[in-house]
Amino acid sequence: MKGYPMIGTNRLHSPLAFSEILFQRMIPINAGIRKLAFYEFRYALENLYPKEGWDSIVIEKQNIIERAISSRKFFESILLKPIEKDRIVLDKTITKLTRMLFAGLVNGEYSAAWVNKFFYFDIRGFIFLPRTVYFTEAGVTHLGSKPHRCFKPQQTRFDTEQEIGYLEFAEANKEIDQAFIELIKQLIEIRGTPTLITLAGPTAAGKTEITERLLGVFGHLGQRTTTIEMDNFLLDREFRDGKPMGQGTIHFELFKQSLQDILHGEKITIPCYDTILATSSHDLEGNLIPGCTPLQVEPADIIFLEGNFPFHIQEISNLIGINVVYLTDDPIRLKRKWRRDVDYRKSIDPAHFRNRFFATQFMRAEDVYRPQIEHCDIVVDTSAAEIWMTPEVARQLDKK
Amino acid sequence: MSMPNNLSVPLVFSEVLFEKMKLLSAGILDLELYEFRYCLAELIPEDGWDSIVLDSIEAIETRINDLSFYENIQIKSREGNRIILDPEIIRLTRMLFVGLVTGIYQQDWIAEHFYFDVRGFIFLHRTIYFTEKALEHLGGRPFRQFEQKQKRFEFLQDIGYKAFREANAEVDQCFIQSVMKIIAARGTPILLAIAGATAAGKTEIVERMTAAFHDVSQSVTSIELDNFFTDREYREARGIDSQGKDAIHFNLLLQSLEDITKGKKISIPRYDTIDATSSHDLDGRLKPGGIPIEIEPADIILIEGNFPFLIRETLHLIGIKVVYLTDDPVRMKRKWKRDIDFRKKYDPNYFRNRYFKDQFIMAQFAYIPQMEVCDMVVDTTGAALWTTHETANILGEI
Repeated sequence: MKGYPMIGTNRLHSPLAFSEILFQRMIPINAGIRKLAFYEFRYALENLYPKEGWDSIVIEKQNIIERAISSRKFFESILLKPIEKDRIVLDKTITKLTRMLFAGLVNGEYSAAWVNKFFYFDIRGFIFLPRTVYFTEAGVTHLGSKPHRCFKPQQTRFDTEQEIGYLEFAEANKEIDQAFIELIKQLIEIRGTPTLITLAGPTAAGKTEITERLLGVFGHLGQRTTTIEMDNFLLDREFRDGKPMGQGTIHFELFKQSLQDILHGEKITIPCYDTILATSSHDLEGNLIPGCTPLQVEPADIIFLEGNFPFHIQEISNLIGINVVYLTDDPIRLKRKWRRDVDYRKSIDPAHFRNRFFATQFMRAEDVYRPQIEHCDIVVDTSAAEIWMTPEVARQLDKK
Repeated sequence: MSMPNNLSVPLVFSEVLFEKMKLLSAGILDLELYEFRYCLAELIPEDGWDSIVLDSIEAIETRINDLSFYENIQIKSREGNRIILDPEIIRLTRMLFVGLVTGIYQQDWIAEHFYFDVRGFIFLHRTIYFTEKALEHLGGRPFRQFEQKQKRFEFLQDIGYKAFREANAEVDQCFIQSVMKIIAARGTPILLAIAGATAAGKTEIVERMTAAFHDVSQSVTSIELDNFFTDREYREARGIDSQGKDAIHFNLLLQSLEDITKGKKISIPRYDTIDATSSHDLDGRLKPGGIPIEIEPADIILIEGNFPFLIRETLHLIGIKVVYLTDDPVRMKRKWKRDIDFRKKYDPNYFRNRYFKDQFIMAQFAYIPQMEVCDMVVDTTGAALWTTHETANILGEI
């Protein structure tokens, strides 16, 4: 940075020295920082500059921070839409955490290794987010303690990107997706049709794309396929906010009945959820709202249930043929969401988006994915490029 | 107008549009049809694409060259608590989409008058900066021409600083050498003014020039014209946009320029870009708690902003007048990265409205008039350096 004091310095508040040290210390934390000009880093940092200066930041002990980010309360306290001067702003807790980590990195209180272990830094959002644990001990045990197949992780190429588009994501997952498709083909051959395949996975993990490819493959083999997006069963967002994903967040009775009917070879009529307005075509009693149009789903040999739901719960688990969890790491999903939800769909305010992603990862993992992983048949981890399966599924496949 | 069938089936419409848009905007090639549809969703008319009435191309051309069309763009209209895209911007993009799909508007005609911003997913009017008068003033052809490396940005949705700097290396280098030669001929102290639109690259070029002068032991200082802005609230309330002497602490500017060219230290207002407020009140007095910017005199005083030599009263003080140009589509991509992603300065819809509106208005009021009186134009997108005949004579063969 020497010899390049910023001309616009006088309109930036964060002192040059602090910014310079932080810029250097952030490089081992996020390789993408290297791609930024110092200017850009300073512009982004400016939004987080504390009114009373960086010295005013209280740096908490590491064990206190670790404890905080492992408690649900911490995430529940995040406000999704705090407003200042007409605009949605970043939640105070998120701001406080990132400031603290910045200040701690600069004064040497926190090492890069410690920060990396518990957090990842999203450049576009310019915040730290706690790393979510998906594979619990119980999950790993359930899946035979080691991955069934490993490939070369290709998503490392996204380390320096700020957002990720579909084409490059598909390209990176080519190998593992292909292996997963083969595996599903074999399982269906063994188990027969009609069958219901659930594909659960966090938002932007790549569920839609993999389902699309599976549909293509089976269509090619002359099998009738269809897909049901779980999102269509969602209740209006205002009735869901704050509730864990489960029977209380969807039109559950309609859902159960629909699964039974389609497995009996019947055509079904299901609700339609509007992602922009965040409302359902059906009211809370499960009746179609006048003026809304439901969706029709034809019967098929292979029915994909795409989306997030605790499919392992007793009321429906016996209806599910193959239960898959499709995982992609949080930092990658966040970059995909920047592209898709913020840039393309423009369906969410960027500050609201950051608050929501930060708040929900932990809770979703706890409510949905960890239990799912502990009960599912197969886990595809696209970021690690690994396929996991239960010993039972592995045995069935091996026999073949 | 009769419309072929593919208007009534949204999936078919989007597929045809997707293919046609690939020919019009290289950035679309990077999208999957999915992504294209996500973007398009926001623009699907309530009554379907076949409800869109197409204007004649003459009517469209007239409108997009009419100041009042831009003046009427509402930058902050709200629906609920969200700022929305101006209906006229939506209407224009929808019309061009439908015209493209039906073949009623030729692709070449669209490309001539509009560019498409993939991230914003709207068409914007191409502003012509090189008017006949400007071309004549600048000798009809560039003084130096280099390879147009910004072409590589056609595929990108947003552009960072480093990529931009690399693409402009040659023309920037030639420009800096030229300025040094002129200064050697004219002597110091000298006031060098750089006019340029938002995100054209003014700050960076000033930065590089500063380093170059330091290398030859000349002292340099710089003044950002933006610091002379009065509070935005005041300007907006009075309908003064961001140009001309009404938008700034004009007397302070004039006095400051006079003083510093005489070798005196100056104290100028400070404009806070986040709060959009000045350190000085409307009478040019420091507000309580306001901190002015102190600027030491120097051999070379750089002043950069939107209109540093638009104001006649300051013209006699300026030694070299430069317009630093970057094409509208490239600036917009820079602003997505800088102002939206990094600074998080605006709501994205506010940004789209404002960019659509301002690029035309600012070109008419500030950049085109300044191009017609400047000494040099650096066109980074065209990778060309343009000079007046007089300047070319000083430069000779460099």
